[in-house]
Amino acid sequence: MIRSRHNSSGAFGMALFALIALLPIGFSLGYAAAYSVGLAGLLSEGFTLEHWARLFSDGEVGRAFGLSLYVAAVTVALSVSLALALLLFLRRPLKEGPLSYVIYFPLAIPATVAAFLVFQLFSGAGYAARWLLHFGVIDDVAQMPNLVNDPYAFGIILAHVSLATPFFILLFAQLYETEKVEALAETARTLGASRRACLYRVAVPILLTRSFTNVILLFIFVFGSYEIPLLLGRQSPQMVSVLTMRKYAMFDLTQKPEAFIVAWLYTALVLALIGWAFRSGRAGGRV
Amino acid sequence: MNGPFPATRSPRRLLRGAAAVLLALACLFPFAYLILLSLAKAWPFPDLLPRALSFDLWARVLTGPSDLGASFLLSCALSLVVASLSTAAGFVTGKFIAYHPARKKLLFLAYLPFIMSPVILGTCLMYLYLKLDLAGNAAGVALAQTMFAYGFAIVFFSAFWNPEIKALEDLVFTLGGSTFDAYRRVLLPVSKGMLLICFFQTFLISWFQYGLTLLIGTGKVQTLPVKVYDYVNEANLFYAAMASCLLILPPAALLWVNKRFVFNEMREG
Amino acid sequence: MNAAATPDLVKRLSRRSWVALLVLLAGCAGPKADEFDLAAAPWADIEAAARGQTVNLVMWTGDPYINAYVRGYVAPEVRDRYGVTLNVSSGQGNQLVSMLMTEQEAGKPVSEFDMMWINGETFYQLRQIDALFGPFTDHLPNARYIDFENPFIGIDFQQRVDGYEMPWGNVQFILIYDGARVSEPPRDREALAAWVKAHPGRFTFDTSFAGMTFLKTLLIDFAGGPEALAGPFDAARYEPVAAKLWAYVNAIKPYFWKSGETFPSGVAQLHRLFTSGEIDFTMSNNDGEVDNKVLQGLFPETTRAYVPDFGSIQNSHYMGIVKTAPHKAGALVVCNFLISPEAQLRKLDPQVWGDGTVLDVDRLPPEWQERFRHAPPRRFAPRRADIEGRALQELAPEYMIRLYEDFRTEVIEKR
Repeated sequence: MIRSRHNSSGAFGMALFALIALLPIGFSLGYAAAYSVGLAGLLSEGFTLEHWARLFSDGEVGRAFGLSLYVAAVTVALSVSLALALLLFLRRPLKEGPLSYVIYFPLAIPATVAAFLVFQLFSGAGYAARWLLHFGVIDDVAQMPNLVNDPYAFGIILAHVSLATPFFILLFAQLYETEKVEALAETARTLGASRRACLYRVAVPILLTRSFTNVILLFIFVFGSYEIPLLLGRQSPQMVSVLTMRKYAMFDLTQKPEAFIVAWLYTALVLALIGWAFRSGRAGGRV
Repeated sequence: MNGPFPATRSPRRLLRGAAAVLLALACLFPFAYLILLSLAKAWPFPDLLPRALSFDLWARVLTGPSDLGASFLLSCALSLVVASLSTAAGFVTGKFIAYHPARKKLLFLAYLPFIMSPVILGTCLMYLYLKLDLAGNAAGVALAQTMFAYGFAIVFFSAFWNPEIKALEDLVFTLGGSTFDAYRRVLLPVSKGMLLICFFQTFLISWFQYGLTLLIGTGKVQTLPVKVYDYVNEANLFYAAMASCLLILPPAALLWVNKRFVFNEMREG
Repeated sequence: MNAAATPDLVKRLSRRSWVALLVLLAGCAGPKADEFDLAAAPWADIEAAARGQTVNLVMWTGDPYINAYVRGYVAPEVRDRYGVTLNVSSGQGNQLVSMLMTEQEAGKPVSEFDMMWINGETFYQLRQIDALFGPFTDHLPNARYIDFENPFIGIDFQQRVDGYEMPWGNVQFILIYDGARVSEPPRDREALAAWVKAHPGRFTFDTSFAGMTFLKTLLIDFAGGPEALAGPFDAARYEPVAAKLWAYVNAIKPYFWKSGETFPSGVAQLHRLFTSGEIDFTMSNNDGEVDNKVLQGLFPETTRAYVPDFGSIQNSHYMGIVKTAPHKAGALVVCNFLISPEAQLRKLDPQVWGDGTVLDVDRLPPEWQERFRHAPPRRFAPRRADIEGRALQELAPEYMIRLYEDFRTEVIEKR
């Protein structure tokens, strides 16, 4: 009775979402599947599984997924921990005062610019190297540690963490207010909990649980990231979207379906991930 | 009152202050560095500061034949429309999903725009939009951008709707208020902060959407990012810095203006 | 209906009408195709038809000088002289081919694009999907100044141009170094290998077009000269030579930048490493680029460029017209202007672009010959006349494909 009154606009919103987002995605998945087996595509010659076979005989795709999972997992872990730590330590400056403004600014930086910045600052002869040279910490460019285009994807992770952390600080700050974490922690305190317990058993679990859906989204973004690994990564292994683009832009146009196959594997993995996250119960909160 | 996390001892307060300043500087450093690099005439290795500054580059670009002014206005209009629609729709739809019994299934659907590899999705969407005659115009581009912005907004707001807010809303109804009253007096004030962040993020999703805009707009919808994006990845790093400034300064300015208004209102309210 | 539901209904109605309006507008916005036979029409008719058209040109927009030339000189000129509005969009190479493929797959009778800036690989692919309009070059009045028998102009990646693309500019590959750090640039491949070994971490090349062109040049050297690999691709001739090439590269790989464990992904990144002083050599497919980059303040004034003794590849870049382009008359008029002596001369100036001309100076009217002969010279790169003797033709496109693939398997993936 009361519910139905204000649910109609929500239902309409959902229907609109289905129209402009879900249907095109459904279509795209179908088109990509057709392309990958040769049923669609300008130079295709009919149903064939040769592209799937050729791709699976190559270990490259597995390595690409492995690298992407590693980068996404490390980025999520670092960003979330850093954001939590910074929020809880700097809660008051983040609420009032100049920092509450300034913390928004990094959001205005896109992936390409972040990649450019990380490269300019941390490459062998970058800005950081110049300062180290100036202070005599290193004598020569060759002594600069390998921070970009390196085997551990340090540059890639750094760029992603720099982009994600401010967003999560802001999100946690908002959730802190709306979930009344302060009041809950106060209650725990009066019941005799130590400050550490208030932190680890009240504040952190609440913030993490409520923001879980956004954490999943971050994981997916980083997993499918393109511009940052293109500039800051290596040729082998490559992250998934860079590999997909390489396969897509291959000179031999008849091999284009391989890119669509990698894209389908990507979709399958991401769906599996979201499915797991939802089944493990955290997503959706407790309403 | 100190609360459960008091900042009693001075060294701790000093550390806190220092950390806050460091964080603020870290947030502003990219802007300062990019502006400096874009004004540099020559900045060879191993100098710490540019050898010479010049406004030539900015003058040439701002007054040159590229017509950045029109692009800027187009981008602003496009992104404002996408952001407003997505945030509003996400706010409402997020609420619908959060209080719905089939909550998990519906929320799962919101992730679907993000499950496809962006590179391939571009081609599939281009095919679809070409067939529907939506390619090559601003409306098509807005629609494509809204796909992602809307999905993001739904996911974002799903973190927000909780029983307390529901209780407040129901309270308004039991007291005889209408939906309009519930929104105006309770829901919107409570969610101002969330709305601002979401509006900003969806604005950015639209503003920075380069690949899709290029494909679906078939190069005819020349938003500012489409015009300057190429520079960021090319050899000339002064142009790259300037293009980066053009990309990031408008959203930063918008944010500053917005935060000022909303922030002040929040403080007074 | 009670008061609370009315706002919802109003919202719903306005949304529906908005969507309807959108669909209506989208339907009306389609472009119209040219209606008369361009192959037969006299030039005056084509010019008349072009007046008032808006031509969509797709090109690489990553160089500010080139953008300024096209947007700041070509566009206003064609507007003032011929009433054609030139609209520049961003796109190149494979991206372009994909867009045209998708258009064909979606069954669009009329393209969104009119003309595009292309070269070898892209030309090959576009012919493969039959996306080019032509033959049209003979129709252009200014085409009489071009010598299509010149192998560097009339043949693109060992494929005859056949009138399907119009030459626009001409470039030759060069190696670039910092004269302050490199006293004696290596002239042959042994000297290069010796230099790399003596200066570890200071040399590399990219995995994109420029780097692959460099490898192609070395391949020709290993094969013993340009005649060895000329003509269509021959795997029997390629494989033994390629084996020698990979052995050479792998021998000096540990002395490359980052110990050869990774390479810059494109020539832009390579230039950046050179600019920041991380490496001492860079390279470019465009010999005119050096002066530009020094003028832009990127490369130091001590930068010099040269062509090693084993030669370097010279090739042209072209303009193509889309087969289903709606504004072919306008595109033809723009093409004709691009190969006019004045547009070509202006393009030659290192302060503007520095791109070589495709015009045969001997075929020009005398006053133009004078002006071309006294065109502003280069200061940091060698004069074209000096390096032309060592120009090599591009190999068949299959060599490029094999090089890309084999570089990955033989060099990058080999640990």
